[in-house]
Amino acid sequence: MARQTLLLAVANLLIPIAILVFATGFFPYKPFMTGLATYENPGWENIFKWKKQPEPKFDKLVFMVVDALRSDFVYGEDSGMKFVQSLIRDGSAIPFTAHATSPTITMPRVKAMTTGSIPSFLDVILNFAESDTSSTLATQDTWLAQLKAKEGGKLVMYGDDTWLKLFPDFFTRADGTSSFFVSDFTEVDNNVTRHVSSELLNSDWNAMILHYLGLDHIGHKAGPRSPNMIPKQIEMDGMVEQIYSAIENEDHLENTLFVLCGDHGMNDGGNHGGSAPGETSPALVFISPKIKKITEAIAKESPTKPKGEFEYYKKIEQSDIAPTLAGLMGFPVPRNNLGVFIEDFLYFWDDGIDRIQLLLRNAKQIKTIVEATYPSLGFSDEVKELDCDKSLSSGERLACKWQNVVQSMSTVATLHPQTRVNFLFSFLRDAQDTMSSTASNYDVSRLFLGTFLAFLSFGLTFLTLPKLRRISSAAIAYTLTLSLYGILMFASSYVEEEHNFWYWATSGWFFYLFISESRKQWFPKFIFHPAIMLLLLHRIIRRWNQTGQKYAGAPDIVHSVVIRGPHSIILWFLVGATYTDIMFRLSRHVARSVSTFEHGNTRDNVDLESTDINGIMGKMAILPLTVTAFLFKLAFTARDAPELTQGFNDGLLYGLGTLSLVSVAQMVFAGICLIGSWQIYAENRRSKARKRGAGSGDLAVALFDLLALFLITQTKAENIPLFLYFRCQLFFLTHIDLSPTAIALTTILLAQTSFFALGNSNAISSISLSNSYNGISGYSLPAVALLLFASNWAGPIFFSSAGVLLLGSHGREQRFVNKEELDARDWIAEEREHLMKQATKESEGRERRKGATDVWRGHIALLTLGVSAGLVAVMAACMVLREHLFIWTVFSPKFLFAGAWGTFFHLGVSIAWGSALWAAGKL
Amino acid sequence: MKIKDRALPEATNIYPTGFAQSYQHLHPFLVLALGSWYFNDIVANPIKGLSTALVWLAVLQIAYCVTCLPPYGTGKVVVEKKKPGEKEKKRSSQVATKIFTGLVALIMSLIVSLVVAATLVLFGAPMTTHHWETLLCAGHMSLLATLPLVYVRGVEGQTWQEAVALLLPVDDVYGGMIGTFVGAWLGAVPVPLDWDRAWQRWPVTIVTGAYVGYAIGKSIGATWGKGGKIVFV
Repeated sequence: MARQTLLLAVANLLIPIAILVFATGFFPYKPFMTGLATYENPGWENIFKWKKQPEPKFDKLVFMVVDALRSDFVYGEDSGMKFVQSLIRDGSAIPFTAHATSPTITMPRVKAMTTGSIPSFLDVILNFAESDTSSTLATQDTWLAQLKAKEGGKLVMYGDDTWLKLFPDFFTRADGTSSFFVSDFTEVDNNVTRHVSSELLNSDWNAMILHYLGLDHIGHKAGPRSPNMIPKQIEMDGMVEQIYSAIENEDHLENTLFVLCGDHGMNDGGNHGGSAPGETSPALVFISPKIKKITEAIAKESPTKPKGEFEYYKKIEQSDIAPTLAGLMGFPVPRNNLGVFIEDFLYFWDDGIDRIQLLLRNAKQIKTIVEATYPSLGFSDEVKELDCDKSLSSGERLACKWQNVVQSMSTVATLHPQTRVNFLFSFLRDAQDTMSSTASNYDVSRLFLGTFLAFLSFGLTFLTLPKLRRISSAAIAYTLTLSLYGILMFASSYVEEEHNFWYWATSGWFFYLFISESRKQWFPKFIFHPAIMLLLLHRIIRRWNQTGQKYAGAPDIVHSVVIRGPHSIILWFLVGATYTDIMFRLSRHVARSVSTFEHGNTRDNVDLESTDINGIMGKMAILPLTVTAFLFKLAFTARDAPELTQGFNDGLLYGLGTLSLVSVAQMVFAGICLIGSWQIYAENRRSKARKRGAGSGDLAVALFDLLALFLITQTKAENIPLFLYFRCQLFFLTHIDLSPTAIALTTILLAQTSFFALGNSNAISSISLSNSYNGISGYSLPAVALLLFASNWAGPIFFSSAGVLLLGSHGREQRFVNKEELDARDWIAEEREHLMKQATKESEGRERRKGATDVWRGHIALLTLGVSAGLVAVMAACMVLREHLFIWTVFSPKFLFAGAWGTFFHLGVSIAWGSALWAAGKL
Repeated sequence: MKIKDRALPEATNIYPTGFAQSYQHLHPFLVLALGSWYFNDIVANPIKGLSTALVWLAVLQIAYCVTCLPPYGTGKVVVEKKKPGEKEKKRSSQVATKIFTGLVALIMSLIVSLVVAATLVLFGAPMTTHHWETLLCAGHMSLLATLPLVYVRGVEGQTWQEAVALLLPVDDVYGGMIGTFVGAWLGAVPVPLDWDRAWQRWPVTIVTGAYVGYAIGKSIGATWGKGGKIVFV
């Protein structure tokens, strides 16, 4: 027995270790070259007789990043940025769609724009763990470092403090804004804007960086079609106009290049992180009166229509910004750059030799990186014979293209400059493609080790399972589910559409339960059989939110007219019902605890019913808490998604608008903690007062109901009715005779189902930040992380805890239920007893709870087995498919999610919180 | 109402005649052939293809019932020698009974297909669109699964409860029913894959799964599964 507990503990310890080891092999820090690039000899002096560097065209830079500025926000017909569009028509601005690679979140994008390199996936984690400073770019070569190194180079920065973390001590003047406080649309931007006008009068800086966050926050909160979106675009447009007119009018800004860009886009839900077209297509505009020189021959239509979904004008890579700035402002291309000088800007230089020199420097810098990747292939500057007709590997193809460059540079014949330019571009673009998509240098041995450790955890857990004397149907279903899940993890589309698997398996499982129950006893009104009701609820739940990739925009209940606009009253009726249900449950708990103190003297009566008076007291105690929680949700939604609160009285909404959301949320959390502490105290007292016998585990139920209140506080209003359905499912589950194995399988299936039903998927972009700041006024990593996790994993947390109650049949002898229900329940309980005795000769549910740790350990073992099996599958898939096209867009995010499931959910919720709940149920 | 309390019916036996014996093994292949014959039509235009195929499936299933299965009410297949004169007469009236029973079974199974359609929706079939596709899919499943079952077991409520509870003894008919539903359920697996094939559209894979499941289930039921009980441990 002790041996099994030990094995299980080791198996669970191995889970985070396996994840960590695998992660270090899977997301290695990309080696980069340190130090600043300097102008080196480009070669072929005797042919070209380079005079000097091509003359820089600009000496100052205003780099304005508008977070999540998707291409259509600037170029589209519905855009609010009319001034920028007038500049494009006028030729003073040259527009692009800058392709951002996944992960499309701020920190890696800033790295890409400033270094010209493709940042590693690890930056996703670092982006969330904002306090981390190991990802700094202080020692890397960036255009910031180059501009700072110039004579008189001074940088100023206003906006997202990501820049301050990436570039510590770079800025002469700076004012950072936390980028995680997404509920704020205006302050974050005012904090930037208030510096701009005075800074435009200063002439000491040569680069000013502005990073506006408001637009991204609006997206996260309410999506790209939020009513706040157009006003924000107009506000940004106004900033562009202000800066542009300063450039036109101020002498010291005469040679200023103004770049307006988004770091990434957003998808239809307003989130980002993945690789959907909306997320990878930010706008990029170069603005200056001098740009007219190169826009003469370019179509200047604006607004316009996109070629693809979001592809406006010419599509370039985001990394192209770095070498382009280098050429335009006259500094060497940053060393780790994989970007290509944007062709349109070549025409700033009339002399073909200048154009060739610019590109040649760009090409030689990239060639250094290519050479380091393919050391055995010839990338020297000498003309030689290469067999380029056979089928080539990507490295050989690059070598051939470089050889073309070498030959065209070395020839003394008179070539049109454009010929050489074309050879250079051919090499540069191919090198960019190849080097960006080359899988990073995985540490394969660590990948093996990580997978092996996960497998070891799986094996150890398996050993703790009781001897397989007789295989049960539930065990077969459990095994089949896990095996099929493991196989499907190797299919990229099933990773993207994982919800389909869980929905499918859960329907099958419920129907199995129906058949299995029907074999014992035919339910006369079989349509209302608990298992059929479960199936029906499941059908509604899975349709509530569409998720995944392919059909994410397909019709679902949340976006249907049923609960939107004029019908939002239906939604609020359901939300109200959810809160009312919780209120009645909680008040019953409080009433019971109050009665405990009344009956404190008569020791035998501790488990007696509480009186009506107690019931009223309970309601009085709980009403303020639930009403506050409801009003918080209403006020939050009125600000967050006003289209959902149309049916409400304007005066009420105005009154709610004046509330401070932070303090109301704090009141709710404090209330939950208060009631929780009171319940623990009261139940402890009751437990001590009890002479003999056992309680019915009411404390566990009370804590569970409080948890439910916390979870719905962390859930978006339109998803709250789901918790009503979850509660109904739990009710019907208690009416079905489930073996411990069946309970474990049900827990796993419903935890996964509810995760996806709440709108989550295996894409980083589906992580919702909107409830991560409830009750928090400043940035605190642990608190935000907890709320973020609770809001995204609310469903799984609910069902993981529900599984504990199912296992121990906690609180079955509850008071205040109506008589008929009570009878029905007793009848089920008798049936259960009867069957349990027949089947296993063991005692019933209460004994499970009271008895040894066996049952609970068995439950944990089955959950652990599921998690470790899933991890093995995901890790093996990531390892085997590491050269797969979708490794960074599909499998890596899945690994991160699997890591979160394995650590935060499994260890934190299933085991730690679950054990606490189980222990509480023993009182 | 405990189901177990009642004595369960016995497994159905196929007519012992040579033709019936060989046809019963041929039947699943004919069903599969029918399915594959119409497969491209169904993919191209599900409603049209499924409707046409449904008619032929009905013919095929009734033919199978009439040829191989004892209709409800005749009890076990009794092999007895009759006098030559009697035999002819009896046979013709028997054929009429059989065809009548077959037609009743057809109508019943079409009614049951509504229940099957509701079950499909519960399992995730589209609710607001594709109504005809879902109904026709249910029709196919019902003709495969319930038509022969009604033919041999009748419409007695308790028998149907036992059928749903998987308590009937396994035979050709029952194996076919279980195979149809399991196959249809498994048929949903390829739908989310990103292969972008026309056959991934609703409800092609479900119907295909049902056909394949029927053929496998029936064959197993007819051979080593015969007479066995389904045990839930």
